Order: sequence, then structure tokens, then C-alpha cells
Amino acid sequence: MIGAFLKRRRNEAGDDRSIIVDSARKATGGRARTRVLMTMAVFFGIYATIAGRLVYFGFQDPDQSGPPASRVTAARPDIVDRNGEVLATDIKTSSLYAEPRHIVDADEAIEKLATVLPEIDYEQTYRKLKSGAGFVWLQRQLTPKQQAEILQLGIPGIGFRTEKRRFYPAGSTAAYIVGLTNIDNQGISGMEKYIDSQGLSDLQMSGLADPKDLKPVKLSIDLRVQHVVHDEITTGMQRFHAIAAGAVVLSIKTGEVLAMASVPDFDPNNPYNAQDKDRLNRMSAGLYEMGSTFKSFTTAMALDSGKVSLESRFDATRPLQIGRQTIRDFHGKGRVLSVPEVFIFSSNIGSAREALAVGIDGHREFLHRMGLLDRMETELPEVARPTEPKVWKQVHSITVAFGHGVSTTPLQTAVGCAALMNGFLMEPTFLMRSAQEAMETAKRVVSDKTVQSMRYLYALNAEKGSGRNARVPGYRVGGKTGTAEKVVNGRYSKGKNFNAYVAAFPMDDPQYIVLTIADEPQPEKPGMGATAASNAGIMAGNIIRRSAAMLGVEPDFSHENAATLVSY
Amino acid sequence: MFRTSDIVLIAVMVSAAAMTYAIKRDAEEERAAVRRLQAQIHTEEDTINLLKADWSLLTQPARLQALVGRYQAQLGLEPVDPHQIVQIQDLPMKTLTIEDLTGGQMVENDKHDRDQVVTGAVR
Repeated sequence: MIGAFLKRRRNEAGDDRSIIVDSARKATGGRARTRVLMTMAVFFGIYATIAGRLVYFGFQDPDQSGPPASRVTAARPDIVDRNGEVLATDIKTSSLYAEPRHIVDADEAIEKLATVLPEIDYEQTYRKLKSGAGFVWLQRQLTPKQQAEILQLGIPGIGFRTEKRRFYPAGSTAAYIVGLTNIDNQGISGMEKYIDSQGLSDLQMSGLADPKDLKPVKLSIDLRVQHVVHDEITTGMQRFHAIAAGAVVLSIKTGEVLAMASVPDFDPNNPYNAQDKDRLNRMSAGLYEMGSTFKSFTTAMALDSGKVSLESRFDATRPLQIGRQTIRDFHGKGRVLSVPEVFIFSSNIGSAREALAVGIDGHREFLHRMGLLDRMETELPEVARPTEPKVWKQVHSITVAFGHGVSTTPLQTAVGCAALMNGFLMEPTFLMRSAQEAMETAKRVVSDKTVQSMRYLYALNAEKGSGRNARVPGYRVGGKTGTAEKVVNGRYSKGKNFNAYVAAFPMDDPQYIVLTIADEPQPEKPGMGATAASNAGIMAGNIIRRSAAMLGVEPDFSHENAATLVSY
Repeated sequence: MFRTSDIVLIAVMVSAAAMTYAIKRDAEEERAAVRRLQAQIHTEEDTINLLKADWSLLTQPARLQALVGRYQAQLGLEPVDPHQIVQIQDLPMKTLTIEDLTGGQMVENDKHDRDQVVTGAVR
């Protein structure tokens, strides 16, 4: 380009020569032209260097140091229990990273860090810092205090990245109810998932989920009672050598679930085993043949139909023969039993005859009315759909009378029992609800007379019958045991039981239902029983003893012997 | 050469420039202070959140139960018995006794130190 330019100048000069000889060169002073050219060359050189350097940098790969791009985690509201105790919250943690390329002296850096982080691994950290990599994590999740102290050390080449993390202070205590979030802070189970489905995910999508505006979600759970339940079933599972155990405390007046736990469970702060096969919320997502606890419904149905009264008598002298099946009694009395006797001796024959008195259609309709055979409507996403025979024949009605042949969830059974104690069926809720609100949607299912009889039978059973193990002095407990044989390979197994105990208290005006289950319990010590009374019953009794005061039930010893005074 | 009006105008201009500079500088300082405070508030909020989580962790019933178990013998802790729970109205009234604090002196003094003021009821 310069050459061409010069040539052009020379040509111009040549053209000029013919007309004005020498004068043009003289007018400009001759040397000035060289100076201009020199100046131009210098400036061109400078700009060419700059341009060349820019092109060079453009092709150069940028330095790969620095932390990975930060992940934006969406804010979630806190989850608190009914007393405002935190069950789940967002906390910010900072993680320490290093850029080994910028570390001046690795030894010095490690020594300084060790003053704040005594547990740091010298050798491993040294190797990390000498690796020459652009970026390495040194320590995840530091407290703000440690962060401030490390900043004070003034080590070059290290930095912090803050991360938002869901934290569950209660750990495994309320794991199944509170649920879990995934790495993007979206609810994947339990109430966390429910909150997302209530519009939180939309809010997060539109970027409107400001942590300050999110009000804490208040659950109906009472953390203290929840702990008692969790503690009792954990020790109970070990004590009775069961493969699983669970319990629920339900308010009869409001339908609120005050505590619900199932073991084995997981720690939501470290849910490495949450997907294991045996990690299942057995109270709402487990289907079981509930066994003798179902006799509560059979008896209530018979009484509510008006065809049977407390004075009615049923023949239980010999086993009941239906087709190829024979119905026997576990605690056979071999005589004619009254309705209360059928209940407290847990007579299969008597219950079957009660069901026969009502009829197949009436039986089925009643169980649907009690919400035992339909999928339960509640906030918790993990809810199983009960199973029942497609076509009900007489044999079905008879086996269902003592809790075999239909599978339902323990939570539904507890809700059904609450309806028997109250007369109204209320959908269970995990959110706060007052008694008035509950009554607005409650459905009348049995008459007040039936309610009175059922209360009497429950109290009587805990006084004289199989429910004695759950008695707690002062709290007037009533209850019903249920020992169901589990189906193994299509047959009812003699050795594997599913035990349940449903308790209500205080019996003069029932406020709470406690339902405990024990899956495949063994005798506590050889020679001891493995029926529901000796495991599920004991757990229920312990739960009531420890939690009744927290639930606001006043002990009253004046009623202690009232139930025995009532003659039937 | 300079007229008075020129000098006045120059003075006004210089002072206006000085004032603009001062205001701008003050504003920048204030803005920096606001940023500093906001950062501080942010840190405090995070700390409060963390402390709340810490508090609930420390007051977990499971932890308290473990502590109770450990210090049960030392502190003589016992589970509450249902018999110990009563309402305030169930408590018997404490029998009221009026103690004679003067030790019999009052009667003797009464004659000498009788109040001179005579009211309508006492005569």
C-alpha cells in the first residue's frame, strides 16, 4: 500500500515535471515530503502492531480460571409446624475454592487455612493446590464465621461461592411429611411438592419468588408430638424386631394430622437412601389388609343399619362354613356372644354374622361411605389407592368384616375411626384447620347413637378386652387391636403378621386418634406374644402417655372405673 | 480590562462549579454508604436465618431428649406423672392465718398513741 502510494506520488511528480519544473519541490521545501512519509510509516507501524495484537488476543483462548457459573436456586418458603418451629428452611452456605494457578505458595496457604479449618487434609489439599488446574473446591459449606476468618487470612488465589441449600433441622423426624427438594430447589415429595403445586413453581418461573415475600407454610404437625411418635416407632421397630413400623396422631374434631411417621426412613439433609425400596411412607402410601381393626367398621355398620343393637346376640359356637372356606376364631369362646363380646373378644365369626345381617351391598356402601375404599384426598402427594374385590360375593363380605380381602392405607383407617368417634367424616389435612372449617366440609356418616355405642365399645375393649396394653392412667384410652396375617405367595402366612392398634382418647369426649402399625413383628423375647396388643398396643400406649399433656388433654382420674360400672 | 460584572460572573461560575463538584462528591459518598449498609443488612439477614436454623437445631426434641437422658441422674429429672397435672382451681385454698407481727405491743401502745383525729364512724 505504501509502495503504491509512493508510486502514485512519483507519477504525479513526473506529470508535474513537464509543466512546472522543480518549483513544486521547492515550494514544499523538498525534505518535508520525506518527513511526512516517515511520520506516516511510524504511525502505521504503531496501529498495525495494535491491530495485530488484537487479532492475536482474539484467537487466544481465554483463561479458564474462576469458579463455574453460579447456579441460581429458587427461593422456597420456610415450612413450620403448628407452633412455628422450623421444619424446613433455606440457608446460605459458602464454599471455599482455590485457583491453583494464582496460588503463590501452596505450603503457606495450607498452613494458614489449617488455623481456621483444623480438619483439612494436608496431603490432599497440597496435591490439589499443586495440580495447576484452573479451579478446585477446597471445602464445601462453611459457616459465615469460618468464611470471615479465612478472608482475614488474606491468602491470594482463593475465594468463596455462596450456595442456597434447603435445610431440615428436624432431620428424619418428619421426613415423610415435609418431603424433599431436588438440586434445583423444586419439591419432589411430601409437602414440598404440594407447595410447588400450589403455584410456587409458577411464581419461581416468572422470577417473582422473592424470599422476603414468601410466607412460611404452617403445617398441622406438632413437632413435639411428631418426635414422640418417631421416637416410639423407632424403638418399637427394634424392640419387636419388625421390618417396619408407623404411627399417626389425628385430631378427631378437625381432621388435622398432628404427627405421622413411618420407619425405616431417611435423613432429608442427606437423602442418599430415600429411593430405597423399603423407604416408603407406610401410613399413607402403604396398602395393607388392616385385620381386626376393621371390626370397628363392621360393628358400627351393623349398629347404624338399625338391624343390630348392643343387645343382639350372634352364634359363635362353631366355625362358619362359606364355600370352601372356614372362618374360625382366634380367641374362640364357643358360645353365643353379644355385640360387645364380639368386639372385645375380636370374634371373626361374630363379625361375619354382623356383616351378613347387613348384606353385601350395604357393607360395600358403608365402607365407601367411610372413605376406606376410595383414594384419600389430602395434601400429601404420596397416597395409595385402596383395592377391593371387583365383584363382591358373600365370602368377600365375610372376610372384609374382619379386615381381610380389601387393602387400605393406615391413615385412611385412622380417619375412618375418627369418623366413628365423631359421626362426621373429615378429609385429613396436613395444614392448620379449625373445628368450624372442618365442619363445613365434613360429611355425616353415622348417627349419634352409633357414635355413643362405638365410644362405649372402644372404652370397654381397652378396659376388659384385647386393648389393655394401651391404657394410660388418667387419659381414658379406648382402642381396638388388629392382627392380620400377611399374604405371602398368595396364601395367608402364619408367621408373618401385620399388626395395628387404633386408640382414641379421652373416651368421655374423644379428641385424638392414635393408630400404630407394626409390620412383621416377632415376639419381643422368645415365649412372648406377637399379636397386636403386645407390640402395636404398647407403642400406642407409650405415644399417648408421652404426648397427651402436649396435646392439651387433661388427666382425669374420676372416670377411671366408670366403664366397668356400665352394665350391658 | 475586567469590568465588575465580569468579575461577579466569574465568581458565580467558579462557585457554581465548586458547588456542583461538592454535591456530586457528597452524593457518591452517600451512595457508597448506602451500598455498604445494604451489604451489611444482607449479611445480617443471612446470619439471622442461619441462627434461626441453628436455634431450631439446638432445640430439637430429639436432641433435648438425648440431653435429658445424659443428665437425668445428675439433675434428678423424672417424666411428668399424669397425677401431677391439675388446673389452678383444683388446688386447695391456702388456709389464711394472720400473724401477730407486733408481739402484743399494739394493745399497750393503743392507749397512748390513739389517733387524735376523730372521724364520723369512730367515737
